[in-house]
Amino acid sequence: MDPLLTFIVILIGFYGLATSTNIIKSVFCVTIIESGVILLFLNMGNLDGGRIPVDIIPDTLIADPLPQALMITTIVIGSTVTSLSLMLCIKVFHHFGSVEWVDVLGMERGR
Amino acid sequence: MILKSSSSRIVISVIKHIVLIGMLGFLFYVFFGAYENLEALYNTFGKDYFSRYAEAETGSKNLVTSILLDYRLFDSLFEAGILLIAVSGVIWISRHEIEEKNAQFMIDKFKTPDLFVTFSRLVYPLMLAFGFYVIINGHLSPGGGFQGGAIVATAILILYYIDAEKDTNINLIVTVEKYIYIAILLLATASYFTRGAFFTNVFPLESSADAKSIYLVVLNVLIGFKVALGLWAIFTAFLKEGR
Repeated sequence: MDPLLTFIVILIGFYGLATSTNIIKSVFCVTIIESGVILLFLNMGNLDGGRIPVDIIPDTLIADPLPQALMITTIVIGSTVTSLSLMLCIKVFHHFGSVEWVDVLGMERGR
Repeated sequence: MILKSSSSRIVISVIKHIVLIGMLGFLFYVFFGAYENLEALYNTFGKDYFSRYAEAETGSKNLVTSILLDYRLFDSLFEAGILLIAVSGVIWISRHEIEEKNAQFMIDKFKTPDLFVTFSRLVYPLMLAFGFYVIINGHLSPGGGFQGGAIVATAILILYYIDAEKDTNINLIVTVEKYIYIAILLLATASYFTRGAFFTNVFPLESSADAKSIYLVVLNVLIGFKVALGLWAIFTAFLKEGR
């Protein structure tokens, strides 16, 4: 896949983050941005199109293993960030009775 | 001035969207410029080094595992630590005084039909076995502790479909996870006494690939169990929100 398409995925995430009115949708948009970044890194590690870096044959092209190792870290940390944000969403719902940004911010300003 | 009529509101929202899309277009232009300059920056030094020396130095046929568990073990340790901290955070945020019980959607027979439950029973042991396979063969084939741990955690989550009122003690899970994390830290530090360097393979550089793979398998199994327990604890914390 062309790296430009991963830019578009990241920008779709930004657009959703700017326009979404729901907290849970905002969390999903952060995950979309994260997926775009993961795709971008995996592309950068394999620009000349090699094999997977497992059980390598000498003098053949392989994909760069370093971005792949870094992206495992990103996936695990992204899942923990998502779970923390969703748990905070549940707490926000129990406190305000809604997960819309307008309601939450409006009630906060009114007090 | 407050605009109340609906048409002016629509106009304002259209203008906002146009401005936003313009800003995103500018961001795309910046990304595109960075991408055009990439050819000058791109090099294969790291890739060449890993493909030439990694298998001999770390005893791992999977170069990603050789980076995760040997060259950049420091990264992996803190990644596992962040998972532990996030699990503690989720459990701390989710504590409440109301009597805890599992969420209702698992028990609802209209939403989880019998067919699904039956297939869960069939698939559960296969998923568990596949998870352990991915963990143990992490240094030979694609996979490793993090990926296999996620598969094992998914298998455990399917268990909740079979027995919806299954009671899980989160505190016990997190305690076991903490001890496993301490064991990972001790195993990573042990190389200081055998090799004189922190956070690398325990066995000396000259030893055979078989000896080195003992360390890789043990560390992969520990990390796999830690990740599986962490994800299980997170899921249980969400499940306890049913009230």
